[in-house]
Amino acid sequence: MNDREINERLNGAKMPQGPNAEVLGRIGASLAESMRPVHPLPSRQLLAGGVASICAVVALIGATGLGFFGIAKMNALERLAVFLALGILVLVAARELVSTMIPGSRRRFSSGGLVAVTGLCLATVLAECFHDYQTTHFIHAGLVCLGIGLLHAIPAGLLSWLVLRRGFAVDAVSAGLAVGTLAGLAGVGMLELHCPNFQAAHLLVWHLGVLLASAGLGALCGSWASSRK
Amino acid sequence: MPECGSALATISPALLEIAKTPPMDAQENLESLMALYQEGDLDAATTLIHFISPKLYRFFAAQAVSRLEADDLLQETWLRIHKVRHTYRPGEPAIAWFYSIARHVRVDHYRKAMRTTIREQELEETFAAGEAPAGRRDDLAALLAPLSQAERDVVEMLKIEGLTLDEVARATSSTVGSVKQKAHRAYKKLRKAFGSSKKRMEARR
Repeated sequence: MNDREINERLNGAKMPQGPNAEVLGRIGASLAESMRPVHPLPSRQLLAGGVASICAVVALIGATGLGFFGIAKMNALERLAVFLALGILVLVAARELVSTMIPGSRRRFSSGGLVAVTGLCLATVLAECFHDYQTTHFIHAGLVCLGIGLLHAIPAGLLSWLVLRRGFAVDAVSAGLAVGTLAGLAGVGMLELHCPNFQAAHLLVWHLGVLLASAGLGALCGSWASSRK
Repeated sequence: MPECGSALATISPALLEIAKTPPMDAQENLESLMALYQEGDLDAATTLIHFISPKLYRFFAAQAVSRLEADDLLQETWLRIHKVRHTYRPGEPAIAWFYSIARHVRVDHYRKAMRTTIREQELEETFAAGEAPAGRRDDLAALLAPLSQAERDVVEMLKIEGLTLDEVARATSSTVGSVKQKAHRAYKKLRKAFGSSKKRMEARR
């Protein structure tokens, strides 16, 4: 059986009858009660720009408080590579997050794909830029960075959610994963500005750990929100 | 029982003309109606209800649900559409926006049904009481039965409702590549299922 025959069979299938007029009348009446003009959401670019700015501001405020030791220790090439990659990834994640909050939006990645692409890109840039393979105070220093990173990711995520609160997530888990990824990038950005520990293992495990933990936390929140309905 | 065709006569003729235009213009007209709906125009809302509801109803009914349940899902979808009508962005495909919300309502509905044992029992009783679930051999729901939920959605939107790949991707919050892959898998399954039923019929003869 070829595709044409399958199409013919599907098109020849007995279609369910449409809704009856009474149901349509009831729907119309229930909508009429609360009919009033509404303002459409702002443009995608504006929303994406808004949430990306929030991430940048949170990272900068955090680093201002704790010190810009990381960026001060980097050479020009490292600064360019790390912050250019972070900037691009924040914009991509912001755009995808906005897409999860507007029904019927075009997606370039699934939210899981977004976490994977973001994590892989950052891991590649960090592995290429930093070649110190020592693991001094690996656990202790790592836990401190993970904590600081998440402490900045959480407000970034909450503020982003606040900006997009008028949107509607058709898949709360996917939206949670996207907001978690974006917030995680704010946390990683803050760590790159602040943390002067350039050991490759520290960066790849703990700094990227902030991104993964934040994405996971976002997905959990989304799952919790959808289970409450 | 009067069907939606007769109900179309009750709405404004001008708006009805907008909704009845050929497919290429239909999208633009749907967008214009959505813009009017966002401005609080009740006639536009009524036209949209009459134009979109049969499509959404078919979408629900093709999932092997009872007529009663499809009615409930349709009403729930319109309430949700009304609540989030501000999220429609002018210039984007309105049909994908509608289906996206309809899918969300259906997923929510089944999640609730799965959580509540009582609800499950009610569903079984509804089916047992012969509420005409689309279960006969040539019904769309029966033909699509071998497919997973996601594949069924894709085949129905793509082949029955005539949405484009981009619109299906938007409605299912996935990428065009993923839609193509699901459609390919679905056709593979349908080929197998229809092929074996064809063989059985030939063997009986």
